[in-house]
Amino acid sequence: MSPVIRMDPQERRQFQLERLQSTLNRAFRSVRFHQKRFEAAGFDPAEIERLEDLKRIGFTHRRDLGEHYPYGLFAVPLRDIVRIHTASGTTLKPAVSGYTRQDLQVWREIIARALEAGGVSPIDILQITLDPGLANWGRDYKEGAETVGASVIPYTPLSLEKQVMVLRDYKTSVLITTPASAGQLAMYLDKTGVHPTALGLKRLILVGEPVAPGLRSRLEDRLHVETWQHYGLSEVPGPAIGFECSRHAGLHVNEDHFLPEIVDPAGGDVLPEGETGELVLTTLTTRAFPLIRFRTGDRARFIPDVCDCGVTLRRIEWLAERTDDMLSIRGVKVSPDQVRATVQAALGRLPHHCRFFRRVQDANHWLEVWIGIDDTLFSDEIKELQRVIRTVGTRLEEGLGVPVAVRIREGRSFADERED
Amino acid sequence: MLRIRNLKCYYGKIMALKGVSLHIGQGELVTLIGTNGSGKSTLLQAICGLMDHWDGEILFKGVSLRGFDPPAVVKEGISLVPEGRQIFPPLTIQDNLMLGAYTRLRRGARQAVEQDLETVSQLFPVLRERAQQLAGTLSGGEQQMLAIGRALMARPRLLVLDEPSMGLAPLVVARILETLANLRREGLTILLVEQNAQAALQIADRGYVLETGRVVLQGPAADLLADDEVKRAYLGKDYRDFDEGR
Repeated sequence: MSPVIRMDPQERRQFQLERLQSTLNRAFRSVRFHQKRFEAAGFDPAEIERLEDLKRIGFTHRRDLGEHYPYGLFAVPLRDIVRIHTASGTTLKPAVSGYTRQDLQVWREIIARALEAGGVSPIDILQITLDPGLANWGRDYKEGAETVGASVIPYTPLSLEKQVMVLRDYKTSVLITTPASAGQLAMYLDKTGVHPTALGLKRLILVGEPVAPGLRSRLEDRLHVETWQHYGLSEVPGPAIGFECSRHAGLHVNEDHFLPEIVDPAGGDVLPEGETGELVLTTLTTRAFPLIRFRTGDRARFIPDVCDCGVTLRRIEWLAERTDDMLSIRGVKVSPDQVRATVQAALGRLPHHCRFFRRVQDANHWLEVWIGIDDTLFSDEIKELQRVIRTVGTRLEEGLGVPVAVRIREGRSFADERED
Repeated sequence: MLRIRNLKCYYGKIMALKGVSLHIGQGELVTLIGTNGSGKSTLLQAICGLMDHWDGEILFKGVSLRGFDPPAVVKEGISLVPEGRQIFPPLTIQDNLMLGAYTRLRRGARQAVEQDLETVSQLFPVLRERAQQLAGTLSGGEQQMLAIGRALMARPRLLVLDEPSMGLAPLVVARILETLANLRREGLTILLVEQNAQAALQIADRGYVLETGRVVLQGPAADLLADDEVKRAYLGKDYRDFDEGR
């Protein structure tokens, strides 16, 4: 592995400062959005003299990505872009990010590093099972795993039955998936009587959302595997920003490529080391789509002491609740604003009553959307109501890439129901 | 070995360097590339004690170079091969070389200096062949060799070169850069400032790209060589080639 991950923290700070300064210089030079923010704050990037000075710059929010759709936040000419990713955003407009050839190379290295820390090697057969909402990660993981030299079964949406067939027959040894999908798989194996020894599965890499300790040990017991967690961003710029090492004690952040901060979600102040708050990320090497102080909405805290695995990259503990109102469904972040905007677009208006919940039943996770029936929507024809359900459901599934169930309810029943 | 943080240099009210940070590790060959006026030479002047005022921090082996004059910087182990060679034309080649060891000779290290003269002569045999000739009679490439040889006579820990390829024929440039690559292999730490980015990046470990007084890019030399932006701006590719139709 690269010596950077074992670098003396003092030395790394110099590295980070140099990379931060040039990132800010490039953003200031090439992206109007960042330029305006610096000008509004009345300072020049040259005034960032220490990593701690970063807090003088305002945050980048998810909504900024939608507002500058599609290419407004790119820092290089389109000619230099070799890949364009689309992910669901906070409005009808998706979040679009671009990658230069170097950016993709950096991602491959980041993901390979994370996989190697989880013991993945060229002798492994690695399968990627993610929801369509995380399709971008599917591609990223494929490339990272190929860099390690593993034999990759790329991301393809498969039924559980087919998934298990591939797992068993192809002798998959590493599975990259979300905790929700892994739970579903374990339950399916139980139900169909497939014993884990019939599979060659050894490692499970869990991505998309923090895994609850209970679920984690259940998965390890039922599937006879060792599990690793990875932290990433589903919109931009990608997976494996943080990864677990063999100690499984928090996630090492790739600090040579990202500068992490933990801030108070309410006031935005940087919190003292060890306190729980919102994870904020700044990219240090990204060329096409630099993020400066991006509010992730993920709740985390720094683990103050150094990990005894020898990797000196700082660790975070990634906690379950979010600091924003996004719902995490099978690892895919779903924005309430986007759900409302999609319902509105599908129906031509936003119904008076419209609520949505994250549902879990028998290890199945989905987004449930309730639409309150009113005079406009009401029809005595079942077919018409089914059409409404289908229209809204299809639009949502297409936009979010997660399973959706739409129910038409009477307005007064809304008050009694609680979210999952 | 060398660590610079937030270096700001001024010419009157004009800020020529706007907060530059960089570092050079022991045994590394690092290149600083950028167009005319990007601040490359200013940065070297600050390191070598030739700038009166600068803000920020320049640490060499942990020692701040603030307030050091050029001889003090040389004594610390930094030797500069200046832009345009700046040899002494009316003196012989040997005298030019001995002047490079001036601070050491004053300390009575004559024997060691003689030895280094031998080493430099082996590195550039032409300097031995013409030891008694006046330096002004050398060709441009030979003068550059003399300038490097003179800097080496100070037995530097860090060799700093300002545009050594300037005005030289491609073959001569290749020869000079090959010598630098050899010195690096022998363990010398080198900071190379060049407009000829292609040539510099081919022998360097890492590079920094300077633009109007700011670092806008850094990384392993191989990555910079492959970088679209660097190619466009510094490797002679036409911007239109890249931007047409977009």
